Amino acid sequence: MADPPPLIAAYMRKRADLVRFFTLRTGSPATAEDLVQDLYVKISDMAPPPDMRSAEAFLYRVGSNLMLDRNKAQRRRAARDHAWSQAAGGDGPEPVAQEPAADEAVASRQRLERLVARLDRLPPTVAAAFRLHKFDGLSHSEVAERLGVSRSSVEKYIMTALRTLTSEDEP
Amino acid sequence: MTGPSDRSPIPDAVRERAAAWHVRLGSDRAGDADWLDFEAWLARDPVHLRAYEAVEQLWSDLDALGVLAAASQAPSPPPPSNVAPRVPRAARAARRQPAWLGALAASLLAMVVIGGTFGGLSLWAGRPRTETFDTALGERRTVALADGTHITLNGGSHLTATLGRGERRVVMASAEAAFDVARDPDRPFLIEASDREIRVVGTEFNVLHQGGAMKVTVRRGVVEVRPKGAHDAGPLARLTKGQSLTHRVGQASDAVGAADPDAALAWTTGRLVFQGERLSEVATTLARYGGRPIEVAPDARDLRVTASLNIGSQDEMLRSLSDFLPVQVERRTDRLRLSLRR
Repeated sequence: MADPPPLIAAYMRKRADLVRFFTLRTGSPATAEDLVQDLYVKISDMAPPPDMRSAEAFLYRVGSNLMLDRNKAQRRRAARDHAWSQAAGGDGPEPVAQEPAADEAVASRQRLERLVARLDRLPPTVAAAFRLHKFDGLSHSEVAERLGVSRSSVEKYIMTALRTLTSEDEP
Repeated sequence: MTGPSDRSPIPDAVRERAAAWHVRLGSDRAGDADWLDFEAWLARDPVHLRAYEAVEQLWSDLDALGVLAAASQAPSPPPPSNVAPRVPRAARAARRQPAWLGALAASLLAMVVIGGTFGGLSLWAGRPRTETFDTALGERRTVALADGTHITLNGGSHLTATLGRGERRVVMASAEAAFDVARDPDRPFLIEASDREIRVVGTEFNVLHQGGAMKVTVRRGVVEVRPKGAHDAGPLARLTKGQSLTHRVGQASDAVGAADPDAALAWTTGRLVFQGERLSEVATTLARYGGRPIEVAPDARDLRVTASLNIGSQDEMLRSLSDFLPVQVERRTDRLRLSLRR
């Protein structure tokens, strides 16, 4: 029998590790099993990207994106349900179950306001590196080439940006 | 997930480590060992996971900002935003004025106000926004929509995308595009091309719409094709992996057949694969990559081409073709002419 394609082979080797990792990330062994199963479906007929250096790291990354997509879809559904109940609902008391969605929306608005204030304060080089990576989708190496600096400088800039943007003190 | 520890502040040192992990794992050099080290770090203290989730949350908030900035800049031509989808990637990257942050900030605040009137709707579920994407001949570009869908546009393409609350809709003018659609069972993904509509739940496939003809080729998942606007009618066809449908505008019938999805999507990785197409069709395809118009003499039109070409300049591609076809290339000022070699 022919050898399985490299991504499938890596998946077979890493399956138990992946379930353990996503159990830690999601707090639920059942969710982790689901995710790792979805990951298999996703990679089963995928050609590995030509610039892939590590099949294992690729699996972790694709799995993490699936996890985040799932979380996002759940939040969207919550927001939609909330909007619908606002549009349809009269002045009766809000069901208790709706309150977290409203809290979440207010919290996310405040978060975004803070974020904008902090984006404005980034030093220009930090902002340039961060923008190329985050908004233009360049890899660390590509950003380094574009800005004419080393890859480790790029990683320092991106870290500085993340640190500034996630700090908890007032803007 | 909840508990008293959720409210406790995250120490600066931990926040810093979490940011460093996000950068390390997002590097093109990350390997298996990095992820295993990361897992060990996460397992050491629950606050580590909270700190890392805060970085991920930031990352997705920024996606929302990017989409907003793009949408708010689209209607008025200058000054272009650095993240506006109409501006080609190279041009965007060349501009480095720090004003981009200001533009982002302004559009966000506007959205926050709109958000307030919606009763605090999150950005993800906001008003439908239409984005327009164009590529020049010979340009190839991948764009990400806010729902996680990726569209790779081949040269000379024009399409618009609207992410609505109940559906996601792409309208393709003359274009070739490969779609990797994010799964969202609550919001079907619809593509209009000629007088056909393609309906998707989550899949990867290629659509070519040019010169009144359209062709859909599926690599993964299932798509349905129906007449445009006929929402209640059953689908004309359901296509699965390895199938394609071709249709000419105005005609009632559609032809479904087997197709090699890797060949149909080869252009996304810089190759063109032909499997027995007529030379006249090959010439139409090559026109998408720039250069002079190509005319094919009647005696050469029906030559069958089986070849795999690297996408390059028109000259390079024609040279490769004439290596294994009995054709000659005549260079005229306004066009090229392919005819049987005598």
